Formats: sequence, C-alpha cells, structure tokens
Amino acid sequence: VSAPEPAAPSRWEALAREAAGRGAGLAPTDAGVALLVFELAGALHALPVERVREIVRVRPVTPVPRVPAEVLGVTSLRGEIVQVIDLRRRLGLAAASLGRDSRVVVVGGERGAAGLLVDGVREVLFAGGADLLAPTAEARAVEALYRRGDRFVSVLDLDRLLDFDAAR
Amino acid sequence: MAKRRTGKRAGGRAEREFVSEAEDILERMRRELADLSDARSAGRAVDPELVNCLFRSAHSLKGLAGMFGLDPVHDLAHRLEDVLDGLRLGRIALEAPALGAIEAASALFAELLGDVGDPEALRGHGAAVATLLERIAAVQAAPGAQAPAPATPGVDPALLRALTEYEEHRLRENLARGRALAVVEAGFELASFEEGLAELSDALREVGELIATLPAPGESSGTGIQFSLLVASDCSAAELAELVGERAEVRMATPAASGPTPAGAPVAPAAGRETPETESLQSISESVRVDIRKLDELMNLVGELVVARGALGELVGRLLSDPATGRAGGDLARIHRDIERRLRELQHAVLDVRMVPLRQLFEKVSRVVRKLRNELGKDVRLDLRGAETELDKFLVEEIADPLMHVVRNALDHALESPEERRAVGKEAQGTIRLAAFQRGNHVVIEVSDDGRGIDVRALRERAEALGLLRPGEVVPDEDLLDLVFTPGISTRAQVSETSGRGVGMDVVRHNLGRLGGAVEVDSKPGVGTTVSMTLPITLAIVQSLIVGVGEQRFAIPLTSVQETLLLEESAIQHSEGRAILNLRGEVLPVRWLRRELGLPEGAAPARLHLVVAGVGESRLGLLVDRLEGQRDTVVKPIQGPLAALRGIAGATELPGQGAVLVLDVAALLADALGWREAA
Repeated sequence: VSAPEPAAPSRWEALAREAAGRGAGLAPTDAGVALLVFELAGALHALPVERVREIVRVRPVTPVPRVPAEVLGVTSLRGEIVQVIDLRRRLGLAAASLGRDSRVVVVGGERGAAGLLVDGVREVLFAGGADLLAPTAEARAVEALYRRGDRFVSVLDLDRLLDFDAAR
Repeated sequence: MAKRRTGKRAGGRAEREFVSEAEDILERMRRELADLSDARSAGRAVDPELVNCLFRSAHSLKGLAGMFGLDPVHDLAHRLEDVLDGLRLGRIALEAPALGAIEAASALFAELLGDVGDPEALRGHGAAVATLLERIAAVQAAPGAQAPAPATPGVDPALLRALTEYEEHRLRENLARGRALAVVEAGFELASFEEGLAELSDALREVGELIATLPAPGESSGTGIQFSLLVASDCSAAELAELVGERAEVRMATPAASGPTPAGAPVAPAAGRETPETESLQSISESVRVDIRKLDELMNLVGELVVARGALGELVGRLLSDPATGRAGGDLARIHRDIERRLRELQHAVLDVRMVPLRQLFEKVSRVVRKLRNELGKDVRLDLRGAETELDKFLVEEIADPLMHVVRNALDHALESPEERRAVGKEAQGTIRLAAFQRGNHVVIEVSDDGRGIDVRALRERAEALGLLRPGEVVPDEDLLDLVFTPGISTRAQVSETSGRGVGMDVVRHNLGRLGGAVEVDSKPGVGTTVSMTLPITLAIVQSLIVGVGEQRFAIPLTSVQETLLLEESAIQHSEGRAILNLRGEVLPVRWLRRELGLPEGAAPARLHLVVAGVGESRLGLLVDRLEGQRDTVVKPIQGPLAALRGIAGATELPGQGAVLVLDVAALLADALGWREAA
C-alpha cells in the first residue's frame, strides 16, 4: 500500500474536520491509519486523525494554579472548558513560543477533550502499515515512526501523552 | 458542576431509553415487593391489588424487553409473570419460596439492566438466569394453597359460573378469612350508569373487597341496566344497606364467620381501579420522561443566555453614562429589564424541572437497610422524614453513594446488637433516622442513630499513633470528633464487607466538598451519632462573587460567601505566625488567596478586600486584591488530562473574559485550616 499524494496545506483543515467528523472512512485498519501531521520544534509529529476533534487558532488561556508547567491552563471552546497542554514541554522539549502558525489541536481523551498546542499543522495523510516502523528503544510517547520519503514522522501515543498520573 | 455523564451508559439512545424505563419498572416492582413482604411479616392481610400490580409490572417489563430484543430479561420476566399470575389466582401459595424467587429475579434484573449494551457481560449472566428459571419452575410445580371451594348457598349459581378464575380465587380467599359475602343489586340509567356504578363501587371498596361486578340478566328495560356486585366485607346486611342507601338492594349470601377476623387484620382496600383486562391504553400519568442530559443541555443554553444578558447589561450601563447616548440607553434599559425578568422566570422553570424529591433515594436506602439488617443480625427501624424535600437530580445521584456509606456505617458500626442494647438498658430495636430539610439555598440530610456513639478515646489514640496529635494535647471534643474525616483514621481494625475497604468518611467529606457541600458529625457516647450532610440545592446556575488577584480573576460561589469587608493591613493580627482577624469579637483565620493558590507575589494594595467564606460550621477569611461584583455563573467541569485541580471546582465563562476559574471553597478551607478546623 502506498501513501496517496499529501493533501495541499490549504486543504488540511477541511480534511481534518471531515475525517474527524466521519471517522469511519479513515479509521485505523490493518492497512494503515490516517494521520494528522504537525510540527513541534522543527520535527514532524503526528496523531491519528480519528482522535482529533478539531483544530483551532490559539485563543486566550486562563492559567490554572498549582499544575505542572506543561499545562498552560484552560480555555473555552464553544461553552466547554478544556485544558490546554504545551505539547513541546510535554515531550520534554523547550517551551513553545507562539507564532503565526501556532494552533491548538483538540483531541478526545479519557477525561473529555484536551487542547494540544503545536507549532503548526502540516497535512493529513494516510500511513500504510508497511511504512510504520517501531520507534527507538528509549521512546516514551512515540508509538511508531512513519517513513515519509526520507523523513520520519513521530506518531504519538495520545493516551500516554494524556496520562499525567503515570508520569508522577 | 453540571458534570456530563460519560462512560457506563454510553449506549445508543434507544438503549438508554430502554434501560431508564426498565429501571423505573424495576423500582416499582421492588417497592411493591417490599410492601408485600412488610405486610406479610407484620401478619397483615395482603392487599390482593399488590400482587396484581407486581403482575402488571412483570408484564410491562416482559413487553419492553421483548420489543428491545433483550432475551434474558424477556424470558425471566415471562416466567415471573407466570408465577405472579399463579399467585394472584391462588394456584401458588404466597409464601417464602415464591417470594424468594421474585426477589432473586428483581435482583438479577438489576444486574442484567446494568450490563445492557455489553453482550459479553450479558452472556456471563446466562448461568444465573438458567438457575433462577429452574428455581421458578420448582415454585410452579409445588402444590398450590388452593382452599376447597366453600359452599355459597346464597349466591345465584349462574352468577358463580360467570366469575373469572381470579374472581373465584378472591371469593375463596375472603370466605376462608371468614368475611361475609353480599350480593348488591343496583339499577342505573343506561345513559349515566358508568358514573353511578363507579360511585357505588368506590363506596363498597371503602368497607371491603369488591370481588366482581356483573351485569344482571332479566329486568333490564330499554333505558336501564342492572348490575350484581359481589362484595366481601365484615359488615352486616344492615350496615351495607345503610352504606348503599337508595341506590341498591343488599342480599347477604353468607354471614360473617363468628368471632373477629385474624388478629388485627385491617381490611386491605383494593387500591387499583381497573383489572388488567380492562387496562386502558391511554397513559394515566401526564408526565414525560426526559433524559437528564437534555436537561443539562437546556440548562447550559439558559446559562449562556444569562451570560449574554450580562453583557447587554454592561452595554446599557455604558450607554447610560454617556450623555450622547443616554436616550437610547434608557430605551434599551427598559428592554433589558424586561428580558432580565423573563430570563429569570425561564431559569427558575428549567431549574424546577431538574428538581426531584429525595423519596426514591430514601427508598433505595431503606431497601439496603432491610437487606443488611438480616445479614448483620441487627434489629433496626428506619425512620424517614422529609422525603418530599427536593434536590437537583444530578445532586441526588451524586449524594447516593456518600449517603449509603454513612447509613451503612450507622448500621454496621454504630448500632449495637439487640443483646448489647438490652444489656445497657436500651430498647432492643435500634433506630436510624434519615431526615431531609431545606435550609436557605441548601438541603440538609441528617443520618442519626441511637447506637453506641463514636469512641472518642480510641479516636484519640489512633490520632496520636498517626502523629496528628501530641500525647496529652488538650483538644475540644468536637475537634476530636472531626478526626473521623481524616484519611486512615478508621478505628475499626477489621474490614467489614458492609462498610467496605478503603472508603472512609474522608471520601464522604471530599465528595461533598466537590459538590460545594459539607459534612459534620456530632456524637454522644452511648446515646448516638448524627452525621449532617449539607448540599446546595442546585449547581446548575449559581451566583458568584468575582474577585481579582493580580492579573487573574476567580469566581467564588455566593453560597459559600458570608460577607465581604474592606480592611487596613494593620487590622490583621498574628498568632503562631498565622494571620487572624478580630471579626466582631470572634476569631477568623485569614489567608492570602494569592499564596493559597501559589500565584506569584505582587504589589500589596493599600487596602485589603476580605471575603469571609464559610462551608458548614467553618469559616475562613480570604484576602484578595479586588472585588469585581456578582455574576450569574454556570459552573462547568474542566475537561482534560489532569483529573484533580486542587482548590478549583470548575470554570465559568464570563463575557469578554473567557474562562474564569471557580474556587472550591471547601477544599481551600480544608487545605488552609488543616484537619483540626477543616469542615
């Protein structure tokens, strides 16, 4: 199975929304999985599209006292209050600096929705099973490495990312 | 905290509706079953209508399960219906084997309903269903308690032949109990007979059981219709004649058996009006079943309207304050006032829909108590008061586990065995009183027992062993009692199955605090213990005080704000390095909200704003930089990976300010004051 042509950047938002809405068509199969690819500190990372609810522009975040630094605070998403996580810090990278491309990827987790701050969203692609490789031994939140041409995309394990209890 | 329901009930809409309706039926069945066994154990005559009701409930459940294709429930309900039919027709004796099977079935129904939507788990109950079906078959195979048909010489044989099997059974039952049988004959105008017949029937049911109503053959003319009513009662012919007056003629068929009816057996009036055969398809009640999630949505919408209204109010204020726009502002202010008034009405109406009486919860508790008192060998009377007190449906569900825990504690630990009670000169039967009442914007639920009371000395030893108290430290009794809410303090070494492992009063306090409530305990050795749980009536829309600390704003629910003060810094005194205030002669502990929340230090303002927060009996003064007024707030749960945000109850949205955190005052109090003063 070969990956289709990557979607044009202008279309990613529509694609992501469509995929998140329907789910079924892009649900993980033996053949592969649909991924939302985004950038963190210059490296490509990805999450399964079926876990992505929506992608929104960065909005005001209310800080919450006495929480780990990677939790930026809470924000209101059309009446729902969700925590926003700095994904860079969550992965042990330098804290994010907000840019024009910064976005919040809203995902569905065990305890409701959560917002993940990323440096920029790049594309939605379909990763064939053959191109998904096991991560390096010391990988903590990376579930697989997707071979995209000559670059690797780190496919993140969302549940592990959102499991703050285990980390403590 | 209008927490959204998630998880367990994730099934489809049809599934949820099925489960919710089935649970209602099951609830009804249990109530009927409890009444039945109460009547039996008290030696009272069992109201035949109770068995009929149970039969109808089983029938409804069967129909519902059949429609939904839930075979185990359907099969079980079907066989149960057979048993109940046997009971009401007297083919099966109303005794322990049959009642036990029905009770077992209702318990199994509950388990099956809990697993709807999980085929794997449902299959897992297969063996239990099969066993129960066998047990039911055994009950059905046992010889019935059919009394031989007694002689009824005074009744027209044609009338007897017209009786249904059920009516025959009731006739036999009544004669066996020695009641007098009368035939009441009445004629009515054809045009209005229904009304007249219903009146007469009601009058007769007041004094006895109306076994059958049959149209009488013969004299019916073109405009009239005759009925024969077969009535069993303890009345004489004269008494019945007086009762029916001119409406009908009374003929005694068999007189009452000599002597009184069995000891103290009151006449059990038949409650229902219609028999299953004539049950109307039209539903009797005018109520509508609504999924609580729909109410949550409605509440959220109203909440957002309230927030939008707030923004409108601010605009009105701005327009009014500018001479150039004052006129328009005045017009808008009138419209705004009108909207505000209607909105408040809407808000009350929606809140009102969410309110339910505590009765169902109390009934659940009494069911558990009934079950446990046998297991624990304790003789206890449950005294329920204020079951009509209303509380938000969401809170009723949230309070169920804590309440059950407290009641189990009372039953398991507090109440002595009948022998112990007699030995200390108490009545052998203990009493647990469950009382609910409204106090302002709160509902208080009290669980009191007349048991042995909390052993303060054991509590003290335990606290010293845990290092919470220095040996010999002088502490007032009420503070010692408050130690029961400390994790790990349980004075009971062994883990009892009833009260469970690892769940203590500290969890009860935590859960109530999360809901903006409080729990307190009072106990006297040898006299008893009272646990009071205080809850806000609703969490859906609350008035909050908005306070500012540095750059940030926080909302404090007004239910936990007692007053606000403006202070000079010099008014703050210190004791052991802790800030206190002389508040009209009383000591008020004081904390800086900024420090409690671990926010960065900022420039201290010249004058301090103090919010006196209180939950239950405890008070704490919170110093803040600014007071920004009161607002209607919809407190929403915070979603995301961090489960517990200590000191934060949720968040609310304010116009132009995004999300504002709502403080969990109970948790702040507990943190700031430590175990000794925490509430």
